[in-house]
Amino acid sequence: MEIGKELYAYREMIFSLVRKDLRGRYKGSVLGFLWTFINPLFQLIVYTIAFSFILPSPIEKYYLHLFVALIPWIFFSSSLQGGANSIMAAKNLVSKIYFPREVIPIAYVTSCFVNMLLTFVIIFLVVMISGVGLNALAIATLPLIMITEYIMALGLALLFSAVTVFFRDMEHILSIITMAWIYLTPVLYPLDMITNETIRKLFYLNPMTAVIEAYRDVLYYARVPEMNTLLVSFLFGIIILIFGELVFSKLKKRFAEVL
Amino acid sequence: MEEQYAIEVSNVKKKFRIFYDKGNDLKERILFRKRNYYEDRWVLKGISFRVKKGEAVGLIGHNGCGKSTTLKLLTKILYPDEGEIKLSGRVSSLIELGAGFHPDMTGRENIYTNASIFGLTRKEIDTRLQEIIRFSELEEFIDNPVRTYSSGMYMRLAFSVAINVDANILLIDEILAVGDTNFQKKCFDKLREIKAHGTTIVIVSHALEQIEQICETSYWIENGLIKDSGTPKLVHDRYLKSMEEKRNQQLTIQHEEEQKPEEKPELPAFCEKTAIRMGTGAVWFTHAEMQNLQKEKQYIFRTGEQIRLILEYETETDGLQGNFGYGIFREDGLHCYGTNIFIETGKCIALQRKGRIEILFRNELLPAKYFLDIAVHSHDGIIFDDIRQVLTFAVTSEKQDIGVSRQETTFSWG
Repeated sequence: MEIGKELYAYREMIFSLVRKDLRGRYKGSVLGFLWTFINPLFQLIVYTIAFSFILPSPIEKYYLHLFVALIPWIFFSSSLQGGANSIMAAKNLVSKIYFPREVIPIAYVTSCFVNMLLTFVIIFLVVMISGVGLNALAIATLPLIMITEYIMALGLALLFSAVTVFFRDMEHILSIITMAWIYLTPVLYPLDMITNETIRKLFYLNPMTAVIEAYRDVLYYARVPEMNTLLVSFLFGIIILIFGELVFSKLKKRFAEVL
Repeated sequence: MEEQYAIEVSNVKKKFRIFYDKGNDLKERILFRKRNYYEDRWVLKGISFRVKKGEAVGLIGHNGCGKSTTLKLLTKILYPDEGEIKLSGRVSSLIELGAGFHPDMTGRENIYTNASIFGLTRKEIDTRLQEIIRFSELEEFIDNPVRTYSSGMYMRLAFSVAINVDANILLIDEILAVGDTNFQKKCFDKLREIKAHGTTIVIVSHALEQIEQICETSYWIENGLIKDSGTPKLVHDRYLKSMEEKRNQQLTIQHEEEQKPEEKPELPAFCEKTAIRMGTGAVWFTHAEMQNLQKEKQYIFRTGEQIRLILEYETETDGLQGNFGYGIFREDGLHCYGTNIFIETGKCIALQRKGRIEILFRNELLPAKYFLDIAVHSHDGIIFDDIRQVLTFAVTSEKQDIGVSRQETTFSWG
C-alpha cells in the first residue's frame, strides 16, 4: 500500500512521461499528432480493401469484425512487448535517480492505452458509418472492458519488465509468445469458427479471449457482453497485477546494479 | 529514528558482484562454465553516521573509496546488503542533472518533465516555475527547444530545477562545477540559503574547500570504512597529509625503478639512465648524491629543506684549476637555478687526483619533479665533465602556495 501512496505522489511524473511519449512520437513530422488518427484509419482502409476484394470473408463486415478486436489487441501486445523492455530503455533514469520504479512500466502501458483511446475515435466513427450503430447500454460496459484489459496489460508489463532486466532473453521469448497468442485469441476470427466444443472451452483459459469477445459484442454486435465472464476476467486481471507488482517490488532493488 | 536527525545510517554494507569473464548466453555458460567465476567485492564494509536536521556534511576520499556508493544508497538507487538507512522527508539528489530532458521539447516543457521526476506535482511545479526560470537566467530562451541550448545553458536549467525542489534532504555529487564562475558562485550562495532554511545537505566532492565552506562535519571514507570524521578543515588536513605520504611512496618506488640498470656503458651507476654526458674527460665525476642534513641519501625534499649535494671526482692530470657548478631544471624544462664556485667565491679551486665537493643549499622550490645538472669546467671555460640530468628529485610541501619557488612572506595588518 506504501507503493500506492508513493505512486500518487509521483503522479505528475507518470503524466509527463505519457505526454512526452505521445507527443515525442510524432515530433518533427509535418502532420504531427494527426498521425495518431491517420495510422489506424489507413490500416482500416487496407483491411477493407483486402478482405472485400482480395480475400473475401464469409463474415459480414469482416473489416469491422477484425478492426474492433485488432486495436485492443495491439494495445495489449505492444504493452507487453514494449512494457517488458521499458526499464531497460529507461536505463539512464533508473541508474541515476530515485523514483518509484513502477512509474516506468505504468507510464508505458498508459501511453499505449491513451493511444488506443484516441484510436477509438476512429472506431466509433466507423461503427456509426457502417450502420451497426451504438447501443448505449453496451457502450456503458466499455470502460469496464478497457480497465480489465489495462490492468492485465499492466500486471504483465510489471512482471516482464523486471524479469527482462535480469534475463535479457525474455524480450525475444515474448515476441514469440505474442505472435502465437494472437492466434489463441479470437482476434482474426470469431470463436464459433472453432467447432470442437472442448477446444473452444479451452480458449476461455486465455484471459484475453473474454476481453476481445466483449469488445466485439459491444462494437460489432452492438450488444451487452456477458457480464459474468467479464467479471471473472477482471478478477483475473487483478490477480495478475498483484502478482506482477510482487515480483517487480522484489526485483527492483537491484535494477541499478545490473543496468 | 530520533526526532532531531534527518539521516541515520547504521552499519551499512554493500557488495558488488564482479564477474571475471561474464559469459551471458547459454553457449558461453555451458562451454566455459569454469570461467563463470565471480567475486563479491565489498564496497562498503560497515558505515554508520547520523546527520542532524539542517546540518551539512561532506563525504571525502579518493576515487573508488565508496563515497559515491554511499550517496547512491542514500538516494535509494541502490539498497544496502546489510544495515539500515533511515531518511526523513523529501529527498532530492543532484547526482544526475537534466534527467529525462527531451531535446525537442522547450525549456519550459522540460522543467515540468524534469521536476516531475523529483516527485513534484503539477501544482508544485507551477508555483516554482518563475523562480526556476529566473535562477537559470534563461528567460529569453525558455520557449526554445532544449537542443538549441549550449551545454552551459542546459546545465543551468537542470541545476535550477534540481535546486528548487525544496527537498528536506539534498544530496549532491560533485556537480558544483556548473556553468561559468558567476553561476557557480550563485549556485553556492543558493546552497547556503537552502541550508539556512533548514535543509539537510550531503555533499560528495573533491573540492575540499567547498565542503569546508558549507559543512559542519566531514567524513573521510577509505576502503569502505569511515576512517576519520569531524571538523572539515581538520579532517581534510589529515586526509591531504595521508594522500601526500601515499604519493611520496609511489614517487620513491617509481624513482627506484627508474634507477634500475639498463644504462649505457659510458654512464656510471650514480647517474640516471637518461643522463647526458659531455666534456673532454680531463676530469670526471665518480659520484653524485643528494642528501638531507642527516647525511642520508634522499630523493624527496620539502620546500624549505636543506639539501647537501655531494660530488666526487678524479683526474690524472696534476695542477688543474676547476670550477664546479650545479643547475636545477624543472620537469617541463624551466631553468630554476644554477650557480658555481666562481660565481659564489670569485675563484676556482686547485684539483687533486681524487677529490670531494660538498654543496649545501636551501631548497625553496615548490612541489614538482626536478632534474639536477652538474659540471666541472676549467678556469677559462673548457668543459672537463658535464652531466645533464644526473639525478632527479621531487619536492613536496604541506603549504598550498604556488609558483616556482617560495618567497618567505609575512602579512601584517592592524
